[in-house]
Parts: sequence; structure tokens; C-alpha cells
Amino acid sequence: MIKLENVKKVFPAKNGNVTAVNNVNLHVKKGEIHGVIGYSGAGKSTLIRLINLLEKPDSGKVLINGTDLTTLSPENLRQTRQKVGMIFQHFNLMKTATVYDNVAIPLKLLGYDKQEVEKRVEKYLKIVELSDKHHSYPSQLSGGQKQRVAIARALSQEPDVLLSDEATSALDPETTNSILDLLLKINKELGITILLITHEMSVIQKICDYVYVLEKGEIIEQGSSIDLFTNPDRPTTKKFLDTISQRKLSTSLVEQLKLEGTVTRLTFIGENTGQPLLAQVSQKFGVVPNILTANIMELKNGIIGNLVVHLVGEQDKINASLQFLNDQGVRTEEVEGE
Amino acid sequence: MEEFIQEWLPIIGQAVVETFQMVGISLFFSILIGIPLGILIVLTRPGEALENKVVYQILNLLINIVRSIPFIILLFFILPFTKLLVGTTIGVKGVIVPLVVYTAPYIARLMETSLLEVDKGIIEAYRAMGIKTRQIIWHVMLREARPGIILGLTIATIGLIGATAMAGLVGAGGLGDLAYRFGHLRYEVDVMYATVFILIILVQGIQSLGNRIAAKLKKE
Repeated sequence: MIKLENVKKVFPAKNGNVTAVNNVNLHVKKGEIHGVIGYSGAGKSTLIRLINLLEKPDSGKVLINGTDLTTLSPENLRQTRQKVGMIFQHFNLMKTATVYDNVAIPLKLLGYDKQEVEKRVEKYLKIVELSDKHHSYPSQLSGGQKQRVAIARALSQEPDVLLSDEATSALDPETTNSILDLLLKINKELGITILLITHEMSVIQKICDYVYVLEKGEIIEQGSSIDLFTNPDRPTTKKFLDTISQRKLSTSLVEQLKLEGTVTRLTFIGENTGQPLLAQVSQKFGVVPNILTANIMELKNGIIGNLVVHLVGEQDKINASLQFLNDQGVRTEEVEGE
Repeated sequence: MEEFIQEWLPIIGQAVVETFQMVGISLFFSILIGIPLGILIVLTRPGEALENKVVYQILNLLINIVRSIPFIILLFFILPFTKLLVGTTIGVKGVIVPLVVYTAPYIARLMETSLLEVDKGIIEAYRAMGIKTRQIIWHVMLREARPGIILGLTIATIGLIGATAMAGLVGAGGLGDLAYRFGHLRYEVDVMYATVFILIILVQGIQSLGNRIAAKLKKE
């Protein structure tokens, strides 16, 4: 559906060129939700603008439905853009137009007849649950409602793809959740493929099937959400995970605990709750597990449990119990203090 | 009082009409030239849709030059141009040309300011939707800039009223001319007061009207 092949974008600057996006490859399959996460300045905004060519890549291919957008004439590009919806961090609604007009004006400008415009505005304002706000102006709406209008505006052109540029970053957590639910709904019910960029791991956690971690313009790690959440490799990815779960323990605490036994992180995927396994460990091996931290993360495609335990006992017994846990499908990792 | 009114009403009335004529006609032509000029200077700016360094720099320079010259000097400075354009350099007709030359660049600058205030994000959103640049200018930029444009035109109109006061120098009449000829040269203080009073009312009225329309368009 969306494919980037070796895409590169360089911005000229006074003290040397800045490579905003470097050799990025990305493939969003039809009907999926993919997320790009990165810190400010990682190149996320440039990356998403390369997909509808608001930024022209210096090299590489941008394919949507198999068409390379970089080869299109301005007129054909304009046509293609109509099938690629976009929503923004700051909503980008016209202040001087009502909710109805904010959705209707682009349709009119694109040449749809009056009845079709009316039909679509009604339909999509209903989908975003703003049917009662037709005559309100953006200044009378909350942030979440403004984003809903922007989503209705994007949907009204019945796009195949929706690009979301930090769409929830200006919203409070509760409103963020309601907008994410809406995105899930339109993905599921309208079959729209979504690519979003964000700096919030919770957004990825809630709605993404697949994740790319962007740093200094390059994708440094990628994988399905479940894989990335259970088995992060790069420090940046781990840091993002730390923002949504208590993963860190202080060095002094870990060192103190390690005077006796080991400190281990156990990761369970799916139904495996963990508690019976730990009970078995103490029964079978005579190792005493002490739970230091525990949490459960609900991802779009599954549940991940995370435990940090202090195992006290003879070293060979500890090793045997770790082996046992591994055999039961639990990932184990020795914890270093950070 | 009654005597004063009887004696001066026709003369002041005539002056008011002349002022309205001058302001009305020159405002019309100034808007006709100033608004497209303002749009052009915004669109040719670096990074905008019709980016063109040469056109942008020339327009900038031209507007700055004209805006540097005080109206009273401009009035005489462009006499040959006025003669060429309308065939005369005196009367209401003769003063319209310098008034337009004076006001149009001013309106262009005010236009530029209000257009630049339009949220770039909205324009980006419309580009992303595949809408034509021409339509974005007309239906997005101009629409969103309307409150600012109205306030700008209000300021320009008031400036124009001030400039017409000097029109008496080329025999175009008007309120300013009345105050100068009768009030100052003939020491008819009452006429001076009456004129100033009318001007204050006029400016107040225009500003309030402008503010009201702008507020209505702003929807905030």
C-alpha cells in the first residue's frame, strides 16, 4: 500500500547540509496500522511529508498502490493526494468556517456536486460523532472535537490511506484515547490503512501492528509491536518502553540485591500469567522469588506481562529455574542497574 | 447657531460630498490595485507557491519607494504622470491619481501582513488534499485573512481621509480644504471646529464599522 524505497531528504543549512531522512525503507500493508516513533528532530515530520510529497525526496521511491509518486506530473500528483488523507497535530481547520463547511469546502473545491457534498459531510460527521455540531465554529470546540472534524475532513474524500502527523500530541490522555479508538474504528470498519508518527509509546501500544524506531533520520529498529515490546534491542527503543512501564531499577538497589542471588526480568506473552510458574520455581528448585516490579501491557495484538524478580538461592538452582522458565516460553534477562 | 448653520451648511455639505467622492473613488481603485499586489508579493516570497526572487524584490522596492514619499510631495512629484493618465492635474479628477498611487502600496502592505498571518498549517492541509493552488489562494488564504483585510482597509481609508485634506492644493475641495481656507486663512474659527468635529465623527464611524465587520468575520 505504502512503500518507501531508499528515501533520502537533505535540507541545505548554513553550516552544512542536514540529512533529515536517510535511506529509509518502509512498507505498510493494506489494512494495517504502522507507527513511526522518534524523539523531536528525529525526522518524523519530514518522513510523513515525504509520503504525500509535501516534501520532495532527494532520492528514492515513494510508492502508493504501486505508483511512484516522484514520477507523477503535478496534475496527477494532485489526483493521487486526494486518496491520501492526512491529519495534523494542530488540526489545521479554517477558523472562519463552521464544522460543516470545514468538511464541505474541500469537497466543493474538488468538484463534487452539491448532493454528494451534503451526503458525505453528514455521513462522516456522524462517524466522528459530531452530528450535533454542524453549525459550530472551531473556536467553540475542544481539542478532541477539532481533531474529529479534521478526521471527518480527511475521511470525506474516501482515501485509501490516512497519514497521522502527531494527531494526539496536543491532546490530554483521555482525549488521546478517544481519538485512538476512533482511528482503530475507521481502520477496522472502513479498511483504511494508517501510517502515524508519534513520540508517545502509548499510541504505538494501543493501535499499531508494526513499529519503526526513527533516530537521526534512520530507522534503527523495526518489528511487530509484540516483538518490539518484548524484545527491544536498541537503547532508544528501550528508553521509549521505559516511558510506559516501570522497567528501570536504580544501580545501587540492583547491586545491593545482587549480593545475594540474581535480579532477572521475566517477560510473558499472552495468557501466561506467571504467578503459578513462580510458585513452581520455589517448589521445584527451592529458589525464593521476590517480585520487585510487575506490570501488564495491553497491546493491539496481545498482552505482555513484565516481572522483575529477585531470585535467592544456590547459583545452580537459580540457573536451573531460569532454564525451566525459558522452557515454559518466558523470556528471561538479567537486569543491570541503570 | 441657526445663523451659522444656515450660512455654512451648504458649503460644509458640499465639502463632505467632495471628501466622500475622493475617498470613495480612490479607495475603489486602490483596492483594485493593492489587493492583487499584496497577494502577488506574498506568493512570490521565498518558499511560497509562486516563489520568484526577482518579482518579489522589485515589488518590495517599488512599494517602499512610494511609501517613503509624503503625500504632499507625491502630489506634485507625479504631476506629469497624473496629466498623462487623466488629462488634468486639478480638481477631484486630478487628485484621484496621486491618492491611488499613495494608497494602493499601503493597502498592498496591509494585505501582505494579513495574508502572512494565515496559519501555514491550513494551507498545507489543503495542499495535502490535492486542491489547486489557485483555489487555495481564493478559498483558503483570502477567506481566513478576511478579518485582517477589513481592519487593514479601515486603516487605509482613514489614512486616505487624511490625505484628501491636502487635495485643496490642487483645487479638489473637501473638508480639509474647507478647514484650511476658511478656518485658517480667514480666521473663521467656528468653521474649523465644525470641520474637525465632522472628521472625528467620520473616522470614529469608519473604525467602529471596520471593527464590527472584522469581529463578525473572525468567528472567535
